[in-house]
Amino acid sequence: MPTRRAQPLPRALVTGLLAFPALAAFGVFTFTPLAAVVRYAGWEWTGTSQPQPVGFANIAALARDADLWASLGVTIAFAAIVLPAFLGLSFAIAFALEGLQIERLIKAVLFAPGLVTVAGSAIAWFLLYDPNFGLVVDLTGLALPWTTQGWAALVYVALFTLWQQTGYGVLIASAALKGVPAGVKEAARLDGASEDQVRRWVVLPLLRPTATFLVVVGTVFALQSYTAVYLLTRGGPLGSTRVLGYYLYETAFERFNLGYASALTLFVLVVAFAVAATQARLLSDRRAAP
Amino acid sequence: MIVLRLITVVFTLFVLLPLAWLVYAAFIPPEALINASLVTPGVSLENLAALPGSGLGRAMGVSLAATGMVVVLQLATGLGAAYATRAGLPLTALVLVLLAVPTELLLVPLYRLLQGLGLTDTFAALTLPFAASPLVVFLLMSAIRRVPWSLVEAARLDGAGEGTIVARVVAPTLRPELLATGVLAFAAHWNLVLYPRVMTTESLWTVQAFLVDLLRTRPFEWGLLGAAALVASLPILVLYVVFERRIVTVFERGFRAY
Repeated sequence: MPTRRAQPLPRALVTGLLAFPALAAFGVFTFTPLAAVVRYAGWEWTGTSQPQPVGFANIAALARDADLWASLGVTIAFAAIVLPAFLGLSFAIAFALEGLQIERLIKAVLFAPGLVTVAGSAIAWFLLYDPNFGLVVDLTGLALPWTTQGWAALVYVALFTLWQQTGYGVLIASAALKGVPAGVKEAARLDGASEDQVRRWVVLPLLRPTATFLVVVGTVFALQSYTAVYLLTRGGPLGSTRVLGYYLYETAFERFNLGYASALTLFVLVVAFAVAATQARLLSDRRAAP
Repeated sequence: MIVLRLITVVFTLFVLLPLAWLVYAAFIPPEALINASLVTPGVSLENLAALPGSGLGRAMGVSLAATGMVVVLQLATGLGAAYATRAGLPLTALVLVLLAVPTELLLVPLYRLLQGLGLTDTFAALTLPFAASPLVVFLLMSAIRRVPWSLVEAARLDGAGEGTIVARVVAPTLRPELLATGVLAFAAHWNLVLYPRVMTTESLWTVQAFLVDLLRTRPFEWGLLGAAALVASLPILVLYVVFERRIVTVFERGFRAY
C-alpha cells in the first residue's frame, strides 16, 4: 500500500477511527485482563471475599502443586494422542477424496460436528457410548470403559475432539492438495513413477508447509480441550483427564480459590505463549521453504 | 489408496453415527426405555412434546439474542479493522498475537473486571467482551484483499467518506464472506460453555448451560435429552445447510491466504 503516506491526515484519522471499536474491545477485554491477572496472582481471594495480598505465595505454591504437574502431563498426553491422529486423518482423507464425485458431500459431513451445539453433541455421545447403558454396548457388547479407567477416559475425550475438529483439517489439507501444480505430477508420471510413488515422493513433500500449519491448528485444539473435558468427564476418573484449562476452571469456580487460579492462569499463559512462539518459528520456516 | 479409502469410509461413519443418533434419539419411543432396549424400532413425538415448560425455550431465547448481537458486533468491528488494515494501518501482527491468546482462559481476570463494572449476571456479560474477535478480523482481512482497490479509489474521487465506502462499497462486495464468517462466529459464541456458566446464573442460562444442567439432573430421561439436544442444534444446523458451500470456501480461502 505505497499510497498511504501521501494521504492527507484526515483520511488516515478516519481510517484509524474505523479500527477503533475493535481495538478498544481488544484493549478492554483481552489486554486489561492479561495485565491484571499478574496482580490477582498475589491475592488470597474467593471471588466474593475482600482480596488479601499474599505476595508471591501463590506463585511459589505452583512449583509444589503435584496436581498442576499431573495436569500438565495429562495435557501433553492428550496432545500426543490427538495431534498425530488429526494430522494423519486430515491428509489420508484429503488424498482419498481427491477428485471423487462425493468429495463435497463428505467434506460437508465431516465439517458439521464442529458446528453442532456442543453440549448437544456431548449428550449424543453419552447416550451412544455410555459403557453401561449406551447404544453401542447395547448392540455390540463392546464398551470403552471411560467412566472407570483413566486411559479410556483420555481416549474418549480425544475421540470426541477428533470427531469435532478433523473436518477443519481435511478442508485445509484438501485445499493444499488442489494447489499442487498438475505439471509437477505429470512430469513424475512421464518419468515412470506409479500413482502411489507420485503421492509419496512428489505430492507429500510439497505439503510439508500445510502439515506445519495443521500442527499449529491441532495444538490450539488440544489447549482448548477443556470444554470437551467439562462436558464429558469433568476431569475424572481421578484426575486422569484434568487438562490444564480444566484444572484452572476447577480451581477458580468450583473450589473458589481465584487468587491461586490467577497464578495458574499465568502458568497456562506462559505455556501457551511458548507453544505459540515455537509455532511462529515453524511457520516462518514454512514461508522460507520452497 | 485402498487403505486411505477404507480410513475415509470408517471415519465418515464414525462422524455420522453421533449425528444420526442425535436426530433419532429425539424420537425414541418411551417404551424403548422401559424395555431397557434402545433397538426397539419406532418413532414417537412424545419427547418433543415434553420440551415446552422445560426451560429450553427461554435458554434458546437468551442464546439467540446474545449470539445474534455478538455476530453483528463482531462483523462490524471486524470489517472496520480489516478496512483500516487494507488502507495502511499495520494491525496484522497484533491480530496474529491475539489469535494465540486463549481468551476463555482469561476467565478469572474477566470475572473480576465484569464484577468491578457491575456487569456479572447481565446480558452485557454475555455480549460485550465478545464485541470483537481476532478470528473474524483475521478472516475479513484475508477477504478484503479480494476487493479491487480501484473501486475504493473511485468512490473517494466521487467524494465519498471512508465510513460510506465501507458500508456502501466494501460490505456489499464482501457479502458472501460476511455471511460465512458470520456463521462461524455464530457457532463459536453459541458453543461457549464454561464462560456463560461462570458469568451468569439460571435466569440468563444459555442453551449450553441448560443442556449441561439437564444432563446432570435428568440423566436417565434419554428421550427428553435427545429431543433437547436436537432442538438446541437446529439453528446452527439450518444455517450450515443453507450456507455450507460458502462457509467451506471462505474457510479454505482464509487459511490458504495465510
